[in-house]
Amino acid sequence: MADLYPSIAQCAIVAGAFKVLLFPAYRSTDFEVHRNWLAITNSLPLREWYYEKTSEWTLDYPPFFAYFEWGMSQLAKLVDPAMLRVYNLEYDSWQSIYFQRATVIATELVLVYALHLFVKSAPSALKGPSHAAALSVLLSPGLLIIDHIHFQYNGFMYGLLMLSMILARQKSTIFLSGILFAVLLCFKHIYLYLAPAYFVFLLRAYCLGSKSIFDIKFENALGLGTGVITVFAAAFGPFAFWKQVPQLLSRLFPFSRGLCHAYWAPNVWALYSFTDRILIHVAPRLGLVVNKDAVNSVTRGLVGDTSFAVLPEITARLTFVLTLFFQVVPLIKLFLDPTWDTFIGAVTLCGYASFLFGWHVHEKAILLVIIPFSLIALKDRRYLGVFRPLAVAGHVSLFPLLFTAAEFPIKVIYTIFWLVLFLLAFDRLAPASKRSRIFLLDRFSFLYIAVSIPLILYTSLLHGMIFGKKLEFLPLMFTSSYSAVGVVGSWLSFLVVYFTS
Amino acid sequence: MVGPSPHKARRKVKRTGNGSETAGEVASSAPGTARATGNRPAYPLAAFLWPARNVSQWEILPLILMTVGLFRWAAGLWGYSGFQNPPMHGDYEAQRHWMELTTQLPISQWYFHDLEYWGLDYPPLTAYHSWLLGKIGGIINPAWFTLFTSRGLEDPSLKVFMRATVIVSEYLIYIPAAVIFVRRLSKLQGVNTWTASVALVAILMQPGTILIDHVHFQYNTVMLGLVLATMSSVLAGRFMWSCVFFVLALGFKQMALYYAPAIFAYLLGVCIFPRVNITRFLGIAFFTAVSFAILFLPILLGALYDAHRGVYARRDLFGPFAPLPISNQYSYLVNHKAWYYPLIQDIAQVIHRVFPFARGLFEDKVANFWCALNVVVKLRKYPSELLQQASLLLTLAAISPPCLVIFLKPRKKILPLALSTTAWAFFLFSFQVHEKSVLLPLMPMTVLMAGKHGLSKSTRAWVGFANLIGVWTMFPLLERVDLRIPYWTLSLLWAYLLGLPPTSFSVYKQDGSWASLATTAIHTSFYLLMGAWHLAEAFLAPPRTKPDLWVVINVGVGAVGFGICYLWCLWSLIVESGVADLSPKSEKSRFKKSQ
Repeated sequence: MADLYPSIAQCAIVAGAFKVLLFPAYRSTDFEVHRNWLAITNSLPLREWYYEKTSEWTLDYPPFFAYFEWGMSQLAKLVDPAMLRVYNLEYDSWQSIYFQRATVIATELVLVYALHLFVKSAPSALKGPSHAAALSVLLSPGLLIIDHIHFQYNGFMYGLLMLSMILARQKSTIFLSGILFAVLLCFKHIYLYLAPAYFVFLLRAYCLGSKSIFDIKFENALGLGTGVITVFAAAFGPFAFWKQVPQLLSRLFPFSRGLCHAYWAPNVWALYSFTDRILIHVAPRLGLVVNKDAVNSVTRGLVGDTSFAVLPEITARLTFVLTLFFQVVPLIKLFLDPTWDTFIGAVTLCGYASFLFGWHVHEKAILLVIIPFSLIALKDRRYLGVFRPLAVAGHVSLFPLLFTAAEFPIKVIYTIFWLVLFLLAFDRLAPASKRSRIFLLDRFSFLYIAVSIPLILYTSLLHGMIFGKKLEFLPLMFTSSYSAVGVVGSWLSFLVVYFTS
Repeated sequence: MVGPSPHKARRKVKRTGNGSETAGEVASSAPGTARATGNRPAYPLAAFLWPARNVSQWEILPLILMTVGLFRWAAGLWGYSGFQNPPMHGDYEAQRHWMELTTQLPISQWYFHDLEYWGLDYPPLTAYHSWLLGKIGGIINPAWFTLFTSRGLEDPSLKVFMRATVIVSEYLIYIPAAVIFVRRLSKLQGVNTWTASVALVAILMQPGTILIDHVHFQYNTVMLGLVLATMSSVLAGRFMWSCVFFVLALGFKQMALYYAPAIFAYLLGVCIFPRVNITRFLGIAFFTAVSFAILFLPILLGALYDAHRGVYARRDLFGPFAPLPISNQYSYLVNHKAWYYPLIQDIAQVIHRVFPFARGLFEDKVANFWCALNVVVKLRKYPSELLQQASLLLTLAAISPPCLVIFLKPRKKILPLALSTTAWAFFLFSFQVHEKSVLLPLMPMTVLMAGKHGLSKSTRAWVGFANLIGVWTMFPLLERVDLRIPYWTLSLLWAYLLGLPPTSFSVYKQDGSWASLATTAIHTSFYLLMGAWHLAEAFLAPPRTKPDLWVVINVGVGAVGFGICYLWCLWSLIVESGVADLSPKSEKSRFKKSQ
């Protein structure tokens, strides 16, 4: 089947044209964050990078990302040196905007290459579905909204993750996959959430014999260990030498933040908060104690530190234990059955667990679930059935990231376009499952997807018309609760699919 | 739940691979075999719609409309003409100002209000359109359109509103018209629906209209959409409707007059050939007259009503009544105290505003015959009356052949070619041409892609050539407001999608006939010139004595290119009409049948 059209390159070109047109679109503070990092890495010596705090947006990504910024700053120097001055806060000449936007598009080529490799490495019977899945990732509204409007380098980061996951497909390249994942961790530590799946998979499939777990392949284990340590040494070595590791870690892991991010990411804690909100009104009748301070803080819905009025407080330790527990459960199956499909399923489930139970989760982290899942969403109809509500919930939950009128049509129409196109295409491409379906999943998920339409209408238009500027937390709460139901629902059903296939 | 899957089995992709390589060409020539076509898409746009070959067009259409809408909206994020450029700003301010004056002033004042600051100089339908948009915008934020104080307003939310009005107007008029036109033309010519969808995307992604309407800012697509509706009414054989739509187009923008001779010749032709049809003629005349009457009715009633209220059109003037703005030598014949005087005054003013006869041959640098000639011969030394007469004569000479052809052979399918040829003639030879007017000849030429062999290499090459040279001549206009990036992005994207230079030269790999060789030679040299011009313009400063050198070269090359486009359209028109008996016998008999 040589005729897979449109090709990945063709889609990348047209999507690239669209992204160039988005140059003047809304930029979040992340744009200034990255400009500041360009400035820090270019104008300061290495040993001051993690101490510099002129801007409030201090460097809080691991060293490889800082090196990457340094590399880009060499080009930036030629474009507009003014953006490289640390004190030049909020600098946004058109040259710097074009430059930074262009680097996002250019570095996304890693993702394009990874997707190309994904289709190439797929077994011939799965070429068509794999191609469709690859295009769905390439054209993902998540990446468009987060990278090309809001501003970040997720295309590049997920490109590395993709590449690493695809290299794990063949025995001969598993080693490279492990090394690449270590590199990725040194770029952006959010991927630590996926590390348990990698650890188990590399251990079982690479370091232990395929027949027996007691057949330890020392050569492989040693090679991989050395490789990973080398990567980490390259990243953290200089800082360890200057004894800056505690400072660096305090930048990377700021535990002082609250349970929920500014706006609730659609996870278990969003549902928990939502329940709390409702209980405020019900509690007096039930004789429960209501914490008056918390009532006011939650109402605003925009504060960093959420506290609960009725339900017990959630500690960081609890979220950590829950995350780890729900990550370990699927890893047992991966240990017993270290195939590539199970591995991707386990990565997805690690993403789910960290997103659903993690501390201070950002809504952008939903890509941690959606993107690995895309690789296996077309495995059969059961997977697709789970993927559908996730795709809707995950992308709808990103809408509040963009709140300006000019970007509203883009985020909504692009997302609807993507959902219609790919859910229709996937529906045609996904093969029937060998096993019967569980639950009334399809009916529920259809109903769920249908609800998204009035929800988007309400949050974007009706609420403003009815309440004006009042009760601003309401649309956010609806969006995140709605999305949370979808993500939690898809997680539960994916657990079932994962363990029964 | 255990049970059989309620899902339909996966659809099997039908493949009748006949070994041919192109999508469009094969498909369009074999209407019966429809759908499944060659094995490989010949250009990227076909590749994008490739998976949709066996999908219902009702599933593709929403996706197409969403995609083209996204590109339009994203392009609209860029700046508009006149942004941060006081005191006059630009087209954006003109349109906003019209919304201001139509919503804030009595109707009798519309064409008289402060003419120095973007006085209304478009026909009544534009005024009504502005009124409606101004009313809607006024509900959202009244400050956008307050009289006088809103001038030059640069509120970002106003920009969103204005951009939205362009898109909504286009989606209500141009896009439905294009969808229906493409369906009718492709049915008429036996082009399959998939190929028609490809053509539809190609037409809707045309870079010129997006750049001018959605980036630079104007509402051309409303007028162009009404002309498309005129053409598709003709295709459906509804001549009375076509009159209504064309009058509306004229009523929205007087530029539609570029098409008028061809439309007139065609409609006259269908009343006379193959046999004289008096009822049809009377019907056409009646509907045209009634449409015009309805179009002017609000203005006239408003004038009467305001006069009745004591609101006079020219309240700025005291003392004796001013003469009429046109035909003022006869002004004294009209009794300015009569009840009908406001009517005459208003009509005279509208005509005076809409047709600026008093202005020169050309205002700005435009890629037409006169501007190009001006490089060689300084035209200013000739009296303007002589130039106007020369312009009129040359225009008449250039529009006569296409009008004659369409009059003698009034066939539906050659109407786009006839419109395009006459519009090229006007663009090249008439006076007071604006560079944006190139959209007029481009529109009917671009819709040729929906016709038979519309996506063949040679048609794509010519339609692409005209469009790319068209946007290229608009580059100086766009560059002035820092719109280089949308210019490059949208025009290269379109060229890429259709497999045109500079992204691909595959359209020129044809048989070795002299016609195709000549095409290749002409097009290649123009593309090289355009490329070289861009390099020169970007990196070389013009000599101090000739600061306009690059613009002048652009105009000169553009004018020659457009002249070639005119000749190609005229030639194709003659060939397609069969008037010169150039086509083989079999083809001729087919035409007869379809009449």
